[in-house]
Amino acid sequence: MTFFHTNLRRLAGATALAAGLASSATADDIVWARYGDIDSLDPHRATSTLSLQVWSLLYDTLLATDADGLPVPHFAKSWESNTDGTEYTFNLQDGVMCHDGTPLDANDVKYTIDTAFSEDTPSLTKGSWGPITAAEVVDPLTIKLTLETPFVALIPFLADSFSSIICDSNGEGFGTTSAIGSGPWKLVSWTKGDRIVLEKNPDYQNFGKLAENPGAPHEDGLIIAVVPEPQARLAALTTGEVHIAEPPFDDVPMIKDEGELSIIVAENTGQNVFWEFAVHRPPFNDVRARLAVAHATDAATAISLIYGDLSIQENCPVSRGVFGNDQDFCAQYRPAYDPEKSKELLAELGYSMDNPLETALLVWTGGNRQKLGEVFQAQLAEVGIKASIEIMDIGSLNARVRQENENTEGTTGSMDMMTWSWYDPDILYALWHTPGAYRGYTSPELDAMLDETRVLTDPEARKAKVQEVFKYLLENAIHVPLYTPGWEWVFAVRPEVEGFFVAPFVYPNFSDVKLGG
Amino acid sequence: MWRFLGTRIAMGAFTIWITTILVTLLIHAVPGDPVQIMYAQSQGTTPEQIEEVRRSLGLDRPIPVQYVMYMERLLQGDLGATIRGGQPVLEVILQRLPNTLLLACAAMFIAIVIGVPIGFLAAYREGTLTDIALMIVAIAGISMPHFWLGLMLLFFFALELGWLPVSGNGWLNLILPALTLGLSNAAIFARLTRSSMIDVMSQDYVQTAFAKGLPKALVLRRHVLRAGLLPVVTMMGLQFAFMMGGAIVVENIFSWNGVGRMAVEAIFQRDYPIIQGFILTFSVVVVCVAIAIDALYAVLDPRIRRS
Repeated sequence: MTFFHTNLRRLAGATALAAGLASSATADDIVWARYGDIDSLDPHRATSTLSLQVWSLLYDTLLATDADGLPVPHFAKSWESNTDGTEYTFNLQDGVMCHDGTPLDANDVKYTIDTAFSEDTPSLTKGSWGPITAAEVVDPLTIKLTLETPFVALIPFLADSFSSIICDSNGEGFGTTSAIGSGPWKLVSWTKGDRIVLEKNPDYQNFGKLAENPGAPHEDGLIIAVVPEPQARLAALTTGEVHIAEPPFDDVPMIKDEGELSIIVAENTGQNVFWEFAVHRPPFNDVRARLAVAHATDAATAISLIYGDLSIQENCPVSRGVFGNDQDFCAQYRPAYDPEKSKELLAELGYSMDNPLETALLVWTGGNRQKLGEVFQAQLAEVGIKASIEIMDIGSLNARVRQENENTEGTTGSMDMMTWSWYDPDILYALWHTPGAYRGYTSPELDAMLDETRVLTDPEARKAKVQEVFKYLLENAIHVPLYTPGWEWVFAVRPEVEGFFVAPFVYPNFSDVKLGG
Repeated sequence: MWRFLGTRIAMGAFTIWITTILVTLLIHAVPGDPVQIMYAQSQGTTPEQIEEVRRSLGLDRPIPVQYVMYMERLLQGDLGATIRGGQPVLEVILQRLPNTLLLACAAMFIAIVIGVPIGFLAAYREGTLTDIALMIVAIAGISMPHFWLGLMLLFFFALELGWLPVSGNGWLNLILPALTLGLSNAAIFARLTRSSMIDVMSQDYVQTAFAKGLPKALVLRRHVLRAGLLPVVTMMGLQFAFMMGGAIVVENIFSWNGVGRMAVEAIFQRDYPIIQGFILTFSVVVVCVAIAIDALYAVLDPRIRRS
């Protein structure tokens, strides 16, 4: 069937080219197709990547992210904190306007934070704002945040679209039919499940975002359409109905060969795919069993087999683009591919090729991860680990991993290829600090280290502590990093699109886009 | 007739009530709870906060209490709010239900217009090459999965010929998904019409008509058609439910913004209120169609009314 598809489409592509099919979208509208829809236009009501990407177009943030993923000034032109890191003062840009023509100032920032901490309906990401006790408007262009205890992850958080500034003129219908921000694009309409229609904000001022364009986007409109089926997205790209979309994975080499559409791979996504284990029962309660898996895994080979050059091996528990990531540092401690070492460890534990270590291997469906799982399964089989793959959606996977950790009976192991993305190493706190997101490995010494990563205000000192955590996680094979990026990071782009790029943490940017040709 | 319909409506209402109970139980049997999944790919939240969200959604209450709360609201026409995004479920469903019904009706129209005449022709030519050829086509049609047929139609009409758009929700966009769904169902109707016609033709009264020397075409038109179409009418009701279900795959391929796609997303995200609302709406539609078909059946066949 694939053969037939491919050939039929080649033929179709050729016909379309020969006929010189014109783009069916309005000349000045950029059309971007994605597999799914946002959950809400309200930045406090959702957490999905799909939602975040849209918020980044509608709203501004106090800070922005540079090409390396580090926070830089944006709506806040500067900021200072007191020595213990419990007070932050932000000086804001003058003359920024909300989409409804009201000025964007310190009152809007206060409104956003007060809403995030509201008693009745707190933000879903309230915890990520940190222990903020007060947001005080010093004057319209100065806002002061007071924290109960130091929380250094606040600064990178303020550069992420989770902290999008909501204009205080928002009222009835906010989040579903209206969304007043100050970002480069204004909301025209949202038809749930179908499309979001945006128009350019002519008053937009870009202070710190990565786009070269200092003002309003070049094109008049941006349509974000939902096209769930990968082959349909590719077909729409071919006919010109859509300008930018995630292509079907298996077709990427063919797209590259044909050369009409270009392939853009997001960098510094912060996405981390890793092994983790059910550690409260045999065999993975023994560090040697976990190390045996880590030493048996040849991630680089497996990735190049399945993803070619679209993804790369990752050595650290937080990926490239996130504070503290250092490939050389992590490579010293990450258990290297060494099947002999793995066999030795298994022998110590009493396993052999005839008496293999048995484990379930849980994998999130989609993105060719099941194929990657099969490659890893074969690698593990070579040292005498018998892994049976179970493929499930991310929701079931999350629930199952927690269940496996809570199950202390039995001798069949459980390990999984987990996937996480975050803009700060504080993610490790969520995963491995007691009680742990999945109730997995925890220890008092790891807790102590993680606590410190939240309060050390000196970047060098914090980096050292974060890397101490890396070392601990790697040496004990608790969080064995495999590769980055892992999902929704490949974009196919039509030839007439110029200036499209993807900022760190997978934020596509359309301010520089011009539809030529 | 009215008593017959009254019984049918009462049974329908009972079915819907049973559905509400099953729906509440079934969802809780699936592993994973919605709040945990909402936080699946982005953390930084404390377990206490997750508990707080769970409490505010009433998910910490015992299942019977959740059910009673649900029924109370349901009777006031409130299906609750979506867990992701907090929008009213009724609004979310009603926005998309017309799209799915439109697709199912268009597909049904295609299925009948194509399927019934083919079946009739095959019965008329029973045992001939035409019959065999038509039935081979029909078997192929039934065996063809929706996603495959859909993609083939998409590549041919949208990509190669460029006649129709790939995705969206306009009138032109309706053609391909309706064809995909309609064609495979046309095959089912063709086979059913054929076997039913042949069955009726072996009945005594038809044999008598033949024995009287009436031409075959006349016998078919006057004596066989109406009786032979009765099972097809019954099938229409069943197929309508299947089409609404089958629409899930087709809606995905053609980005048709219907309730099927919404339901699949909701299931992956464990958005309880949407799943409950969807199954409930689905069962209401199926029950209504079944009642309508029963009524139509009664009109067509006087024997039903009397029984």
